[in-house]
Amino acid sequence: MGGVLCLAIATLASLGIPWTVKRAVEALETDAANAALGVFVGSILGLAAINAAARLGSRLAMIGAAQRVEADIRDDLYASLTRFPPALFTRYPTGDLMARATSDVSGVKTVVGFGGVSMIQTTFAFVGAIAAMVVVDPWLTLWAMLPFPAMILLARRFTSLVHERTEAMQGQLGVLSGRVQEHLAGMSVVRAYAMEGQARETFGQASAAYLRHALALSRIQAQFTPLMSLIAGVGTLVVLWAGGLAVVEGRITLGSLVAFNGYLAYLAWPTLALGWTLSMVRRGLTSMGRIQEVVEAVPDVERTEASRRVPRGGPAPRSRALAFRGLAFTYGDRAPALVDVTFEVGEGEVVAVVGPTGSGKSTLGLLLVRLWDPPIGTVFVGGQDVTAMDLATLRGDVAYVPQESFLFSRSIQDNVTLARPDVDQVEAKQAIVLAGVAEEIEGLPRGLDTVVGERGLTLSGGQRQRVALARALAGEAPILVLDDVFANVDAAKEEEILGNLAGALHGRTVLLTTHRLRAARAADRIVVLDAGRVVETGTHDALIERGGLYARLWRIQQLEEEIAHAP
Amino acid sequence: MRRERSRTNRPPRRSIVARTDADDEVLGRAFDRRLIARLWQTTRPHRRLVVAGMLLFPVVAAVELLQPWLVKVAIDEHILRADWAGLATIAGFYLATLAALYALHTVESYLMHLTGQRVMHDLRAALFERLLALDARFFDRNPVGRLMTRVLNDVEAVNDAFTGGLFAVVADVVTLAGVVAIMLWMDWRLALVTFSIVPALLVAAAYFRVRSRDAYREVRRRLARLNGFLQESLQGMSVIQLFARERHEHASFRRLNGDYRRALFGSTMFEASLYASVEALGSVALALLVWYGGSQIASGGLTFGALVAFMQYTHRFFLPIRDLGAKYAVMQAAMASSERIFGLLEVRPAIVSPASPSIARPTAGTPALEFRGVWFAYEGEDWVLRDCSFQVARGEHVAIVGATGEGKTTCARLLNRSYDVVRGQVLVDGVDVREWDLERLRRHVGIVFQDTLLFTGTVEANLRLGADGTVSSADLDRAVKLANARTFIESLPRGLGEELGERGHNVSQGQRQLLAIARALVYNPAVLILDEATSSVDPGSERLIQEAMRELVAGRTTVTIAHRLATIQGADRMLVLHRGRVHEEGTHQTLLRAGGLYAKLYELSMGARTA
Ligand SMILES: Nc1ncnc2c1ncn2[C@@H]1O[C@H](COP(=O)(O)OP(=O)(O)OP(=O)(O)O)[C@@H](O)[C@H]1O
Ligand SMILES: Nc1ncnc2c1ncn2[C@@H]1O[C@H](COP(=O)(O)OP(=O)(O)OP(=O)(O)O)[C@@H](O)[C@H]1O
Ligand SMILES: [Mg+2]
Ligand SMILES: [Mg+2]
Repeated sequence: MGGVLCLAIATLASLGIPWTVKRAVEALETDAANAALGVFVGSILGLAAINAAARLGSRLAMIGAAQRVEADIRDDLYASLTRFPPALFTRYPTGDLMARATSDVSGVKTVVGFGGVSMIQTTFAFVGAIAAMVVVDPWLTLWAMLPFPAMILLARRFTSLVHERTEAMQGQLGVLSGRVQEHLAGMSVVRAYAMEGQARETFGQASAAYLRHALALSRIQAQFTPLMSLIAGVGTLVVLWAGGLAVVEGRITLGSLVAFNGYLAYLAWPTLALGWTLSMVRRGLTSMGRIQEVVEAVPDVERTEASRRVPRGGPAPRSRALAFRGLAFTYGDRAPALVDVTFEVGEGEVVAVVGPTGSGKSTLGLLLVRLWDPPIGTVFVGGQDVTAMDLATLRGDVAYVPQESFLFSRSIQDNVTLARPDVDQVEAKQAIVLAGVAEEIEGLPRGLDTVVGERGLTLSGGQRQRVALARALAGEAPILVLDDVFANVDAAKEEEILGNLAGALHGRTVLLTTHRLRAARAADRIVVLDAGRVVETGTHDALIERGGLYARLWRIQQLEEEIAHAP
Repeated sequence: MRRERSRTNRPPRRSIVARTDADDEVLGRAFDRRLIARLWQTTRPHRRLVVAGMLLFPVVAAVELLQPWLVKVAIDEHILRADWAGLATIAGFYLATLAALYALHTVESYLMHLTGQRVMHDLRAALFERLLALDARFFDRNPVGRLMTRVLNDVEAVNDAFTGGLFAVVADVVTLAGVVAIMLWMDWRLALVTFSIVPALLVAAAYFRVRSRDAYREVRRRLARLNGFLQESLQGMSVIQLFARERHEHASFRRLNGDYRRALFGSTMFEASLYASVEALGSVALALLVWYGGSQIASGGLTFGALVAFMQYTHRFFLPIRDLGAKYAVMQAAMASSERIFGLLEVRPAIVSPASPSIARPTAGTPALEFRGVWFAYEGEDWVLRDCSFQVARGEHVAIVGATGEGKTTCARLLNRSYDVVRGQVLVDGVDVREWDLERLRRHVGIVFQDTLLFTGTVEANLRLGADGTVSSADLDRAVKLANARTFIESLPRGLGEELGERGHNVSQGQRQLLAIARALVYNPAVLILDEATSSVDPGSERLIQEAMRELVAGRTTVTIAHRLATIQGADRMLVLHRGRVHEEGTHQTLLRAGGLYAKLYELSMGARTA
């Protein structure tokens, strides 16, 4: 609030200057020879000094505050992004979110910063100048103020137009940003499929559409400021005329007219500023709306009935059993991904989930760690409904390795530890050995400190997958969910890792999804999914006996190997 | 089984982050002549707009400066002489100037925006075009987030240069020149009194300029870090969530955010100080006018009207100067951005089509693919391939096997010239790939990548990627069938018209691979390379695809890369990659009999089976 006080002082001081000039001119008019010019000059200088100091103070205070607000908004945005479930990333692609976090946040900053200062400044200026003008001559003031109602009406119409067009423009910026992001991230495919032409075209379209939206906005913005100054100028004109007449008739002094003119000139800038301030504020509010939309998108997914019942971070029994009971799940309008899935994984048990492509294996894992929310009362960890568990506790208990490995462009060491308090260097190292990638990492020029490229792209496919596996192995999660983690390693390596795991994971509960039936064979139990349904469960031998889907898949793999074996 | 790397005299691998950070710290001077010249060039296609805008400036300035003059005339010649009729005429003139200014300002402002937006559009297109031409090595070093900043944000800053900086400064200079001329003409002594402030003004400007420059550099650096961090967080959010690292990442973000805010405040301080001091100096000039002008009036050397007009001119003199700080910041941002934009535009793609590409005219004996003593390293002397040689005959189906990280994917990348070899040659149809026309080469050699990557858009659009418009829906159908993707696509609510999400994340991993295979079949290259194309596909589907492949492989040169030896049995020949070269080659049977590395690998995997 110090800022506002400073601004008030600054306004008073700067209004005092035309006043002093008025008195000087009056003094000159009455008796030019004996006018005490020194006094006037002195007071102008004094007022100027006060004005400068107060204005500086106010700007720093208010813009500083605005920057704080900006930082807070960005911070809040990030905080809610960390709670974004995958479902929302479908609705808001990376490029779009980046556009919101950069362009929209800076739009809001401009409003709270310069917009705020200039709003308050303008208000003060208007109030102060009008008061001063009333003191000089009320009638003349009335004349001068004549055009202002028109200005207000115009401004209203204008801001709603700005809003519409800004929203369209920022939306298109999101689209454009998405296109760029996607093509740059997928450059290897763009290159390999010689699809540069296509890429150019889609980009060109998005860019041209953005240009159109931006120009539509410019068209009204270009008009507004001049229009405002036209209306304000009419005020000056009226004063010149009516005031001139008054001077001629001797009703007011020339000094008053000069001061009046001074005040109108003083108002010219705030009036102009009003134009762009209003448009900026409108744009800023639009941007704020876009940010708010993202911030508020989270709760409707996160606050399921169940999670509200439970205090966050409450103590959870670290039991290691998993259970799925009558679980059904459907993504949007797709065919059901899971239908009536019921099975349990006992403490320390290793259960493999196998089944054809798209049969819902990954979905099971995603629901278990609540990257997607399962229906209430269908998925249980340690006997507790996951939807009723605190997320951090749940995810602390379940280490999940997603099917697609993602590494950050940080060192391998950091990628494995992820700065978790319970994972130190030694443990990270152990995990890397367990994941069977230690030798290769040592072969890299900087070993564990090698900084990998975006998404880990400077590692080979198999290396990346095993670093991601190591990440889950480090740490003390009692339950491991491994989704197809052997896809990119050879059979020997797979065997080595499985051997490592068998020793190290003793007692941990493991849910293993795989297409490598050899890996499944070693499991205590195998659950076979087909089109979202559990079609059979049992040990390897029992399932072979049964002669169902598993037996068929097994035979296919067997057959291949036998063909290969045949002399 | 790690190949040894030459550890001696290896330059330390610089961190990727450090390298690109430096790029974002490039700081333009606010008025770098070279850059302004380049910016000026970008306006060439829109020269008419620019010239029209520039022509408007003097007109606008003249009309603007006419106003105080009219006020002076009104006071001196009409009001003080009680000439009511004359005053009406002056008022009429004044009204005319107002109307003219409205029209002129509107046109001027729109022209400025139009130019800025068009230039921005052109720059975006040029940048994107350049990025499309750049090679894989470039993308290894430059994170996507940073490149996006070039195409979107930096370009925006250049637009600001046109609307808020460059043109505004030119317009201001024209206005200032006009003000100075009029003041000198009206009363040169009084004018000189006003201008006596100018040296102080220059000193203040120079001081703050240097300071704000340093502050600004800090702002840029902080912002680049902040956005880079954000972009990566967005892409890896599920990992962050899975390991419950939200708080930790949030704390890092908050730190970067705070650093940025502090830097920003630093630069604001200088800008605000400049603003305040210019305003103060303006008032000093006013005081001087009152003092000197007042005494002149007393001695009869000056009229009241002239003094009033002078005050207004002084006001207009300081108005543009006062906002100099803000404009300066805009220009500085714009220059830094243009520096980076032009820097990117000047990056020469390392891999381009030769000026006169050779057309391959293979004879019967020419191998379809050949590696001839290939040495390759991603970085310095870290050889991935060392003297690697092999041939693949036309129509042959060859499998490349080897431990992970041996360089199988690298071989594929060299074949479509994503990278260039360091030594040796890669030949396709007997012609070095460096002599092929790039697009021809890439239409000739099609790759299904280990990392499946689909784009947003419909399934059909994804399948037709890169294929020219001649692909009939029957061909599409056949490819879908061969890739065993038909049942899956039919199960989607909108079939081929189903919209896929970013990277195709709304279908299962295996389904993505099926689509990628179908996409390659639609693309229909003469040489097909499958890099772990079925690694996440169930044995049943894989089997069907393999059977289909038999039909497909007929008459087509095919290279399969796979870890599961069992899945590459259909191949005519195996190449075993080890320590950067082809260690052994032959049919499955001969290799088994030879009892070398392949036999060992095979035994290991079979041993695993029976274990
Ligand atoms: N873009 C890159 N920049 C630097 N090094 C890389 C890059 N891509 C791969 N490498 C390194 O080069 C080596 C060979 O990688 P490549 O991807 O060719 O192996 P691969 O045989 O395909 O392995 P995998 O079976 O795991 O897919 C690896 O050690 C890897 O870390
Ligand atoms: N985000 C999503 N939005 C809509 N549908 C999805 C999404 N993710 C998966 N699906 C669909 O749900 C079904 C099950 O997918 P899921 O990923 O669980 O299969 P999966 O058994 O893991 O397959 P794979 O063996 O290929 O990994 C598939 O038909 C898939 O297309
Ligand atoms: Mg899956
Ligand atoms: Mg590979």
